[in-house]
Amino acid sequence: MTHTLHRQGKDEELREDFVLLLRTSRWVNHEGSEEKMRGIWEVISHYEKDIVNFGNHNPTWNDGELYDMEALKRAKSRIIHVVFKDREKLKACLKEIKERDFGISAVISGLCGEAEKICSEIGLAPHTVNYSLGIHGNTERVPEGEVLEMHTMCGHAMVSANLIQHLIGEIDRGRTTCKEAARKLSRMCDCGIFNTYRAEKLLSRATPNRPR
Amino acid sequence: MLIDKEKCIGCDECHPYCPVGAIAAVAWEGGSVSEIDQAACVECGCCYERSHVCPVDAIYMPKLEWPRCLREYFSNPNVTHPSTTGNGRGTEEMKTNDVTGRFTRGTAGVALEMGRPGVATSFKDLETVAMAIARLGVEFEPDNPVAELMADTKTGKFHEAVLNERVLSAILEIKIPVGKLKEVLAAVKEVSAKIDTAFSLDLISRVNPDGSTPVLAIATEAGFIPRPNAKTNVGLGRPLFEEA
Repeated sequence: MTHTLHRQGKDEELREDFVLLLRTSRWVNHEGSEEKMRGIWEVISHYEKDIVNFGNHNPTWNDGELYDMEALKRAKSRIIHVVFKDREKLKACLKEIKERDFGISAVISGLCGEAEKICSEIGLAPHTVNYSLGIHGNTERVPEGEVLEMHTMCGHAMVSANLIQHLIGEIDRGRTTCKEAARKLSRMCDCGIFNTYRAEKLLSRATPNRPR
Repeated sequence: MLIDKEKCIGCDECHPYCPVGAIAAVAWEGGSVSEIDQAACVECGCCYERSHVCPVDAIYMPKLEWPRCLREYFSNPNVTHPSTTGNGRGTEEMKTNDVTGRFTRGTAGVALEMGRPGVATSFKDLETVAMAIARLGVEFEPDNPVAELMADTKTGKFHEAVLNERVLSAILEIKIPVGKLKEVLAAVKEVSAKIDTAFSLDLISRVNPDGSTPVLAIATEAGFIPRPNAKTNVGLGRPLFEEA
């Protein structure tokens, strides 16, 4: 559903946090889509060194926080998630997908203005938009600061605020590093939408007095 | 989820993995073991198969009977929801709107992601919000798994048996004419002060040929400030839905 929509952070941080989603519709074009989805994974694999995270919500982990790209290229995927930290790489990937004309719905989740520009630059017209109107209700119970920013990178809430705070403590005590902690957090998110690159930076910011 | 006290070694490693803080140490046979508060646990599986954190496999999932099984359906995205036969707790919403035409020009989608981020929710809170907006004559999305939990989709009243069940999140989805958006958002604002949980709010619209949408100004006027990030369907799906 909207598990990528409510990522928190300042604009400059969100400039390093885009999720490209591609999915079939169970009502319209899922049947017979297997080869198309495999084709999309093949395109995405051209950018493997540039992307931060990826997945299809069916765990085929590569013994770590990342999925196994080769396995995904052979898998049945109803949905594809790819996290980019560089909008130019996202643009290049989306342009290639557009040119291959797979006919699979694609969504950019990230800074709205950047998504509009990317569309314009590669000859696409935004079709439908889903705006985030923020967090409401009893907001006193909502996590804050870096913890909230990392927690909302998995909209399904599998990366618990308690775990983030625990790992911040472990980093402060010198028991783990920001990089290792970011990987540990990412491992909880089966969708592959957790931005491990950004999490490492946030963990670093949250632990200014950590042992170096 | 349950912890076998005979197996547990009291290492406390599982505690931080729980998104709702339901695991705590308790005294047991002169020592200490971990225990899961069954009222708070949402059966998400984070402490179990997702993390495999327990070094002695003391954590286990019992067979969940109705209505407790709802906790797992709505909280563990790896579990297929029986009412929709899909994973997760929502729908395709606008992600496939280019081929489904679910949101046409002149309509707006509003979704309240109850319990997000990181707070969890009871269905009692969903009912409070659902009844507040149902008074405006809105239609709840029938494909969303929340719909089957309502005793009356016209009033937003839920079945009594489910009200005290707690889940990580559940989504109230409605589709309305754009002309009705202002009063719906006013009702959302009013009811938001009457619930124990938090929610993330979504607003969906078709994009005009000039790149604008008819809903942003209405949302702003209603006192909601759109965040800079959004989801944009870029229209690559085929066959493209043709609006009348």
